[in-house]
Amino acid sequence: MKRIQKDRDEMAFSEVFDFFAPKVNAYFIQNGIRFESSEELTQEVLSTVWAKSNLYDSNKSALSTWIFTIARNKKIDFFRKNSKIDFIEEDIREFLYQDREFNLIEENEAKKQIERINNELDEQQKIMIKMNFFENKSHKKIADELEIPLGTVKSRIRHILTKMQGFLR
Amino acid sequence: MNGTVVKNQLIFDFASGILGPAKSLFASTYLQLNSNASKIGSTFEKILGENLMDNENINPKNLKYSDCINSANIKSTSNIKDPVTSFFGNLNNLKWKQVYKGFKEYTAQIDDIDELKLIKMDPGVSVPLHSHGGKEYILVLEGSFCDEYGVYSKGDIQINDQKIKHTPIASRDTGCVCLSITEKDVIFFGKYGSFLNLFTFIKSFFKSK
Repeated sequence: MKRIQKDRDEMAFSEVFDFFAPKVNAYFIQNGIRFESSEELTQEVLSTVWAKSNLYDSNKSALSTWIFTIARNKKIDFFRKNSKIDFIEEDIREFLYQDREFNLIEENEAKKQIERINNELDEQQKIMIKMNFFENKSHKKIADELEIPLGTVKSRIRHILTKMQGFLR
Repeated sequence: MNGTVVKNQLIFDFASGILGPAKSLFASTYLQLNSNASKIGSTFEKILGENLMDNENINPKNLKYSDCINSANIKSTSNIKDPVTSFFGNLNNLKWKQVYKGFKEYTAQIDDIDELKLIKMDPGVSVPLHSHGGKEYILVLEGSFCDEYGVYSKGDIQINDQKIKHTPIASRDTGCVCLSITEKDVIFFGKYGSFLNLFTFIKSFFKSK
């Protein structure tokens, strides 16, 4: 990423592109966006990575987190396109990212928290987090896909949230 | 569900990008003012970032990396101040509506199912005992208030549901300015209760027209 930021190195960017473009594209499809639109959005995300590479700060976040936030913001814009409000959502989120006073101690703290969360949650719970918060599937859809009752999905997700809360302080 | 779980749920939903515009603005202000909430938010974003890292691959068909380098339609970064100011502008210049003496509100024009409001209470002013038809989220922007459950200062959030009845009182020194989200209208009790309920009823009647 440094090579992209400092030297505008196109080969370095092509590596980032090759790794992330298929994953970002999959993210949009998982979120219920049709293939052609997903490809357009993927282009917007990776173009932003190239054009705004100077905004990325490796002390603040992992590259995957930064790219996730860009993709998520594009998703919000996409779903709001049909609404009448001209909302400055992306600006606000960019502001929050830059405003965030993150030092390395906190970064380590966050890493430890995530490690503990990962150790505490079993595979099915992790899949449920992914389906609920990453793919933004409804509880009903999660129930259908995992072939378990809706009530069970609701109580398990509540249980996961309560459990995670113990590690997030 | 206890209050902390509901707060975390709000942060998680914000990180996932599934909130409507009103709640989204509310949550971003919460993250900006409350460093603990901000930490939880970035930890959760990190978890979602790891999900992206490990995500399956679906290759785009017609997209090459060079398309992204040559793409011109990326808008430049704006320098906004903070979520509330960039949305409402200077709070002193708003056309506040007086609900009763010492209590003013300003309802945002935002196309959403949730109602987004600013509330300004003069020092020592209280809200009559009331409960809530739906969920209500209150975030303190300036000053503080207290009720039967505790003291809430800048960056603190209170989430009220149907079960909660309370009498908030603004700080005698500073008063308070809050951002609030209501999912449904509030139900009032006590001395002025029936009058205020009538007021909300009439208000909703005109709104639906």
